[in-house]
Amino acid sequence: MTVEQISELLAASNREGKAVVVTGGGTLSGMGRPPARSDVTLSTLTLDTIVEDAPSDLTIAVQSGVRIRTLAQRLQKHGTHVPFDAPHPADATVGGTLAAGWLGPRRHLYGRPRDFVIGSVAVLADGTIARAGGMVVKNVAGYDMSRLYVGSFGTLAVIAQINLKTAAAPDVTRGFQMRLPEGTRARALDLLTGLTVTPAAAFWIDGFKTAVDGEDGAEGRLFVLLEGSESVVDRGTRDLRAAMGRAGVPETRIVDAGARESFERIVDAYIACVGERSITYRIPAFTDDAISRVHGMRAIAARFELRTDALIDVMNGDIIFRVSDLDAHALGAKIEMFDDALHDEEPQALVIAGQHPSRALLAVWGCDTDGIDQMRALKEKFDPNRILNPGRFLAGI
Amino acid sequence: MLQRLIDALGADAVKTEPEDLAVYSFDAYTDGRTPRAVVLPASTADVSAVVKIAAEYNEPVVPRGAGTGLCGGAVPVEGGIVLSFARMNRILELDTQRRRARVQPGVINLNLSAAASPHGLFYAPDPSSQKISTIGGNIATNAGGPHCLSYGTTVNHVIELEIVDDGGNVFTTSIDHPGYDLTAAFVGSEGTLGIVTSAWVRLMRAPEAVRVWLATFDDVESASDAVSAIIAAGIVPTALEMMDKVMAAAVEAAFHAGYPTDAGAVLLIEHAGFEDDMAHYESEIARIVREGGATTWRSARTEAERAALWAGRKGAAGAMGRISPNYYLQDVCVRRSTLPKALHAVEEIAREYRLTVANVFHAGDGNLHPMLCYDKRDPKQIQAVIESGNAILETAIALGGTVSGEHGIGYEKRDAMTHVYSTSDLATMARVRDVFDPSRRLNPEKIFPSGVRCPEVRPA
Repeated sequence: MTVEQISELLAASNREGKAVVVTGGGTLSGMGRPPARSDVTLSTLTLDTIVEDAPSDLTIAVQSGVRIRTLAQRLQKHGTHVPFDAPHPADATVGGTLAAGWLGPRRHLYGRPRDFVIGSVAVLADGTIARAGGMVVKNVAGYDMSRLYVGSFGTLAVIAQINLKTAAAPDVTRGFQMRLPEGTRARALDLLTGLTVTPAAAFWIDGFKTAVDGEDGAEGRLFVLLEGSESVVDRGTRDLRAAMGRAGVPETRIVDAGARESFERIVDAYIACVGERSITYRIPAFTDDAISRVHGMRAIAARFELRTDALIDVMNGDIIFRVSDLDAHALGAKIEMFDDALHDEEPQALVIAGQHPSRALLAVWGCDTDGIDQMRALKEKFDPNRILNPGRFLAGI
Repeated sequence: MLQRLIDALGADAVKTEPEDLAVYSFDAYTDGRTPRAVVLPASTADVSAVVKIAAEYNEPVVPRGAGTGLCGGAVPVEGGIVLSFARMNRILELDTQRRRARVQPGVINLNLSAAASPHGLFYAPDPSSQKISTIGGNIATNAGGPHCLSYGTTVNHVIELEIVDDGGNVFTTSIDHPGYDLTAAFVGSEGTLGIVTSAWVRLMRAPEAVRVWLATFDDVESASDAVSAIIAAGIVPTALEMMDKVMAAAVEAAFHAGYPTDAGAVLLIEHAGFEDDMAHYESEIARIVREGGATTWRSARTEAERAALWAGRKGAAGAMGRISPNYYLQDVCVRRSTLPKALHAVEEIAREYRLTVANVFHAGDGNLHPMLCYDKRDPKQIQAVIESGNAILETAIALGGTVSGEHGIGYEKRDAMTHVYSTSDLATMARVRDVFDPSRRLNPEKIFPSGVRCPEVRPA
């Protein structure tokens, strides 16, 4: 499919008031609400061309259906990367990952995916083809439309092309695993964020057994990723071991082979479902209060006799919290009440995964967002007939 | 209306004397029209009150930071009320644990880094005006600076905004909340969508090691080839700044920074990071610039030497007075690999119009800042500057670049927007304006092309 064909399809759908559901790799379909209406499905998967690869400029332009893995492999040839850190990168598309506003665990070090976006081609609901930005790395000519489409879940426009700046990929990636006995957690997490060689990622994981590594334990565990030049990673290794020793962590084990794969498995776990009997939340927190908030959420889940898996992205403070039950029926009987109770304590909790039919009944977008009126007005200007992914976004947008 | 403003904010916060108003009729670009009043709010509530009164009387509102903008962004083109943030200059919270700060818009950029510095933190965006320009103004233009090469421009450092809309209502945007990224839409919108009354911004940890190197070349072409080669090697230093012969000589005469005066081009390279990596970066960058024809190579050994080399760069605009009574500073951005072509074209244009041009710019970003020298007492020279400035814009566009890298569009460059974007592209931007400022009273006549009212910029 070409951009012009998308334009024609949208213009026709707009005239006829047909709802167009835009899909990419489908990996993040557990985020947001299912579309309220669907007359036409527009898959971006045939928009899979790398439009312009400019390694000497450290920029690249891709169509939105290009898979994250495909892009990464191309950039790897140049020794560069764009750290999307999206789950299931072989399936996930660049456009879909950006449209869903995915936030990965290495963003504290390298920046958010949106910070790599320098330009775009988008198709509006009425068929208008709109370009923004370009292939230069600094640009303040007009509003930053490209970043406005990022995280909009396809409700403002269909992203057809994205121009990105790239960065030099790290020479060395090294992973570490350690057990984290009770009483060491708070100190360990605090020391991690203060390390001079900032870890590229650090996770405190309790549960997610099958999703991550087949290991488990009541005491939870820590996975740390160091990236950089060989000498910096060596130094980071020494500092990390010393710090964890001070925190009382018994052993810091290097993941010799497959540090990257271990890291990717953890990112996949963010949206891993236990059949139809789990719901996963993402809660923005801070490293210094994340542990106590996990305890609070566990207490709520315990009231409903729900199983829990928890993961803290230590460097950014995000909490990934999954609740599950013995079967879909059991979950369905209590998930709405749990969701209410959770949002009383954590109004910003977002649902990011879950295949249970009740997911659509939950406060998937949380209940604490300012600027809703402005967002509704923006939707009205861009898509007055509400044909683009209707109902998928927050506040009924 | 003036009485209403005085009732709301107090007489000392409302200026109406002609000599006061005159001061606020221009910014660093040019003069505009005298506003009806200048108000100095002390709080978000004050801003809201002013905007509500302005709405009742259908008067434009033009927010203003330090007035260092170079494109007329703070000029009250249609008169109205100038909202100066000189009194809203407090750092409200400095959360060193979470490395963030909440500031009022009138906080001077450098003051934030100074306050964060004892905690080993700094605020990364560093426009050359940082000693006087405000965070609010920096947000309005999505300001850059030498170090945004590796740290990114202002938009990468803003977490949350408190905004007063065109009706005087207050709302917040946050990059950590779900929903449309209104933060990104507001950063760089030059006060045309709403008025920022406070912001949470990110602070970064100060790097443990900083190196500054100086390389000289016979001409700007070979220096810019070297810049492209450094970037192409995947090395993105924290800053990569270039000065041509004219500029370097002026700077040296003014500041004695230690720049060789006989060089055709001076390249200032800074890299910050880990001590462990510095030897590697030094040898790699030195190798690339030598292969690129560098005639000299120097490493600043001490903090004092580093500061001296930077003082020359940061004082470049100030040194212009030595070579010309007036200068016009252009701001365009091109693909980094086209830098040699772009510089060559600038030189040709200056020659054609018989103007002296001095170049000092963010080479690593492809962000050019040609300074065209002229004497404003000579109308012919003024005309030549205007025409050559436009020719430089056209050159940048032809090379796939853009008409502003970091200064903004403001009043000056709005007509050039039609050369970069199609009517549909501009109409798409205008839809955002329609949402937040349908009556076009917030900083009117900025960004969007003249002659065509924004609501009319619509696809067929």
